[in-house]
Order: sequence, then structure tokens, then C-alpha cells
Amino acid sequence: MLLRPLSWVQLQLGVVLAVEKRINSPLLEPSSVEKIKEIDEHIGCAMSGLIADARTLVEHARVETQNHRFSYGEPMTVESTTQALCDLVLRFGEGDEESMSRPFGVSLLIAGSDENGPSLYYTDPSGTFWQCNAKAIGSGSEGADSSLQEQYNKDLTLQEAETIALSILKQVMEEKATPNNVHIARVAPTYHLYTPSEVEAVINRPMSIRRKSSLKILPWLQRCFFSSLQCKCTSLFVC
Amino acid sequence: MTKQHPAWSPYDNNGGTCVAIAGADYCVTAADTRMSTGYSILSRDYSKIIKLADKCVMASSGFQADVKALQKLLAARHLIYQHQHNKQMSCPAMGQLLSNTLYYKRFFPYYSFNVLGGLDNEGKGCVYTYDAVGSYERVGYSSQGSGSTLIMPFLDNQLKSPSPLLLPAQDAVTPLSEAEAVDLVKTCFASATERDIYTGDKLEIVVLNKDGIHREYMELRKD
Repeated sequence: MLLRPLSWVQLQLGVVLAVEKRINSPLLEPSSVEKIKEIDEHIGCAMSGLIADARTLVEHARVETQNHRFSYGEPMTVESTTQALCDLVLRFGEGDEESMSRPFGVSLLIAGSDENGPSLYYTDPSGTFWQCNAKAIGSGSEGADSSLQEQYNKDLTLQEAETIALSILKQVMEEKATPNNVHIARVAPTYHLYTPSEVEAVINRPMSIRRKSSLKILPWLQRCFFSSLQCKCTSLFVC
Repeated sequence: MTKQHPAWSPYDNNGGTCVAIAGADYCVTAADTRMSTGYSILSRDYSKIIKLADKCVMASSGFQADVKALQKLLAARHLIYQHQHNKQMSCPAMGQLLSNTLYYKRFFPYYSFNVLGGLDNEGKGCVYTYDAVGSYERVGYSSQGSGSTLIMPFLDNQLKSPSPLLLPAQDAVTPLSEAEAVDLVKTCFASATERDIYTGDKLEIVVLNKDGIHREYMELRKD
């Protein structure tokens, strides 16, 4: 299945994650396809690639963040959580029976907000991670990434970030965007997955021309891509 | 008849008293430097205060060997934390970690009575007070150890703190200035030294504020 997560960060406000879920059949129940998940109150995650693998990773991250809260009575930073995830990604093939015998075939966009403000991280199946202002992953990510480069500026408001994320997602989608095939989440500063009616409101919002530098909020935009990335990753691991 | 052996105990009590006071933007942590066992003095200059992080110190009385083991463990945990998270542990985080560490030995406890003093993430003074098995509370001031029964009522009289049951919750910091708090600590140790044989020799005071950390000393009675 192809995924097109797209996401966006705003420094003082928060991060927006947007994904297309491709509903291949009208008989498929849209709410059963989850591509944005909550890791902790202050961290959300969009995924592209093998979603089953992402479930393992998200479960691991949830345990890590809760252990951190237990030990230190504070939320885990987004970077540490990303690092903990990448540690697991890199650990495949180690140990016996229990452990993963192949790499995790999934890229993640990890959006969160901590003491350093909002941030967005991108991880790939090699276990490497990068911090981004805006990033697209998944099948339409090349085009989406270049649109993000054009449209991202650090003064975006959260609303503008939603609008841009959605408009870029629309550009790379084959079907029309509906509340059924688009999911949006924000972390500002706590995670919230938009309800279908909230998504509809964003879809129906007129796309105004954004005024650069009129608002003093620092947003970033990031997106991810996948099919091409996934191919690259696969060959990487075959080697 | 079988010979009765005197009961052996894995614990000793080496005495000592600790006090910490939190202010709006500072924290004063103090302890005497006497280490005793029974009627003997083992050392007149043994520090009970350890700096655990940039903005966090711990003062501990009780059994010196257990205190030492606890300090070593926390220092190691803090080093690992720095490697994993690229930052110093905050005082509230260290507070939770110390509680967990003590509770993990619930059925063979560290025989140590601790107060943790430092600054929280907003730069406000914070004091955490513990029992030997990890029950803890954030307070405005506290005293632990052999002289605590003498000092605590005196601090209550001088610095009455708002009830923790009040809503909305009130900050448990003292209204004193830093210099007044240091004076108060000196006074209460001078008094405790008069009546508690396990407190004396020298007073070590560690002050944490926005400028950093500094230590000062005051001589106490040596008898």
C-alpha cells in the first residue's frame, strides 16, 4: 500500500501531520486504516511503508516514553524518543527467536513538542534520523518535498500549515481528498488526531495566498515520500 | 544450653542532620560534617552533601555505607542520562529517580534519610524530602536525620508553609531572602548541636541560585 504522509512543523506553535490513506476498495472500512498514531501525549507519528512493522515500532516507542515518565516523572524529549526508535530499527537480526529477522520496512515522521518547542524527525529503515522543518515521505514525496521547499516559511501559522500540508497532499493524490482518505493530526503542544468533521473543515477552507512574514510564528514543513524511498531502502538492505 | 550470640545487624547509624530550604530563586542545603557510631566520633569532617547535577544536590544522613552506595548509583544513573538525553537531569527528575531507587530496595532498604535541594525547570527553589523507602514530597523546607526532631518544629514555627490541601495549589517556597535563609540554617544547626550528640563539628552549606553553586562553612561545637 502506498502512503503519502506529509508533515509540517511550527516552532512556537506545533507540528501538523497529514497523510493520504488509499482506500483500494469501497468495501474497506476507512476507519480501520491508521497511519497516524499517538506515541505519547506530546508525540505523534505518521508512517509510510510496511504498516505492520510500524506498529511494532510505535509500541516500542510507547513503552519507552512511559518508562521515561515512570523513572523521571517528566515527558521524554522528541529526539530521545526518535533515538530509542532508531536503536530498535538497527537491532534487527540480533539475538535469537524473539528478535526481528529482517529490517523494519517503514519510514516514520515523528512530530512532537517538548521543552525545546515543536520538532519533526524523519527516520528511515536504516535507523538513521534527521530533524526537518518540513518533510514528505511515501509515494508522492518527491513532488511534495519540492512543493514544501517552495511553500514552507518559518512564519506560518498552524492554520496555514494545515492548509499547505493538505494542498500539497492533494497535488500528489490521485483521488479527491475527503475526510475518509485524508488524515490530519497536530501536536500543539499535545497530540490531537482530527475528527472527520475537523478534516472536512480544513478541506473546505479556501486556500488563501499566504502572507510571508506577517505573522510571527515559526512553522516548518516536512514531508515524506515513500514508494521510491522504499525501493531504495529495499535495495540498500539487499546489498 | 546453646550460647546466645549478640544479634548482628547489617545496619549502623552514623547520625548527622540535613536541612534544605527553597526560596523563590534559590535553594539552601545544609548538613553537619560529623560522622559517629554510638558514643564515638569517627570523623569531624565528613561531607554529607553531594552534587548530583548542575541544579541538584542531595544531603543524606543515616548509615554511611548505604549513603555511599546510593550516591554512587545516582551518579552513574545521571551519567547515563546525560549520554542518552544530552542534558543535565532536572531536580524534579532526580527527585523521581531517587524515590524509585529507594523503593526498589523496599524490603532491604538503603538506611539513608535524604533531602534533595535544587532548582526546578522554572528556576524556582525546590526541596524534596524522603523516608528510607522512597516515599517523597515536594516541600518548601525540610530536615532529616538525627537532629531533625529538634530542627523541624523550629522551621515550622519560622516558615509556616501553606497546606498542601489548599486549592488552588500554592507554591511551597519560603518568603525569606537568600541571606536570611542561610542565617536561619546556621541558627537552627547551632541549636541542634547543643542537644543532639550526633550533630556537630562543622556545618556545610550549599547554596544554589541562578549564578550557580557555592559552598560555605561554619564551625559548630565539637563536644
